[in-house]
Amino acid sequence: MSKNWLLFKTYLLAGSLTFSGGMAMLPLVERELCMKHAVISRATLLEYSTLAQTFPGVIALTNACFVGRKINGRRGMLAAGLGAVLPAYVLMSAATILYQVLPNSGPVMTALAGIRATSASFLFVAAFDLARHNLTDRYSWLLAIAAFSLTITNLVGAPLLILGALACGLLQAGRQQQEAK
Amino acid sequence: MLTRLWWTFLKIGWLGFGGGYAMLSLLLNEMRQLGLSMAQYADLNALDLLIPGPIAINSATYLGQITAGFPGALVATLAVCVPSMVLVPLFMRREALIRRNPYLAQMLTAVKKVSVGLIFAVAFSLLLSTTMGIDDLSQWRQFHIEPLNLLIMAAALWLNARYKINPIWLTLGAGVVGWLSFYW
Repeated sequence: MSKNWLLFKTYLLAGSLTFSGGMAMLPLVERELCMKHAVISRATLLEYSTLAQTFPGVIALTNACFVGRKINGRRGMLAAGLGAVLPAYVLMSAATILYQVLPNSGPVMTALAGIRATSASFLFVAAFDLARHNLTDRYSWLLAIAAFSLTITNLVGAPLLILGALACGLLQAGRQQQEAK
Repeated sequence: MLTRLWWTFLKIGWLGFGGGYAMLSLLLNEMRQLGLSMAQYADLNALDLLIPGPIAINSATYLGQITAGFPGALVATLAVCVPSMVLVPLFMRREALIRRNPYLAQMLTAVKKVSVGLIFAVAFSLLLSTTMGIDDLSQWRQFHIEPLNLLIMAAALWLNARYKINPIWLTLGAGVVGWLSFYW
């Protein structure tokens, strides 16, 4: 079995079996690539996974690109990347088309209203979880609360806030560098 | 529309630090500018849970599909993939330089903190639209509580946070409750 095919197949499988994405696909990738076929070491895979989380973009795809590139150069990167994206793209296209033809009346409408109501719940859970891990001092609470209030009042949009955060980080790092000197 | 989708998702990709959840906030911002409704955004969140795969890919495909059909879905999905495709080869060549850069680490930490606020804001907007009938705070005059939706939202929050019940089951359960409520 060629390495490209193995990469494509592994990420295709991982992408179709893991929900709400991200690093949930890691155990499956580890079993296929590290244990069954031994094309990459476990330490390298974990290192790339951590690294992928620090990059902008789709984390699962970045991870696939790293691993593919490491195992089989540019072609490996494309094979793994395609495998990681394809299931989500195909299934979501199909689901969106189905969703568009749903009648917007009767019990379907009230069922959708019920489903919509849960979307806030899971985001709150995710947000609380992230807050516990990331907001460790007064300065970080300040950043988070500022971002929250500026967006809900429609004063500043999310893209600008993210750029602002990048600038804040840059300034802080600059100050630390000077202090170190 | 296709060009607009391309630039929109390129922007979301490059600004999307920390993966799917951070992107949801950017996405809501763009959906508002494209004139899509809060209900369509809430449906996207539900579909994200029900369909396997990365949230960012699911969202790009969904938004492309509802605004411009098949070509739209393809263009949006390709655009959101660009940062990974560009950054990984770049990193492999300049690994040592990037890894030891203290500026990058600090920038990332700051973005993570802002993202927490942004996700709370998204959750809050969804709460307003699904249980209180308003899309943002400027419409506060039309504020009214929708008791069944509020109950569903609170129950799902509690069951997920307290008992770790899988969101997929809770979403489907909420659909069943909503369906039955039509006949009640």
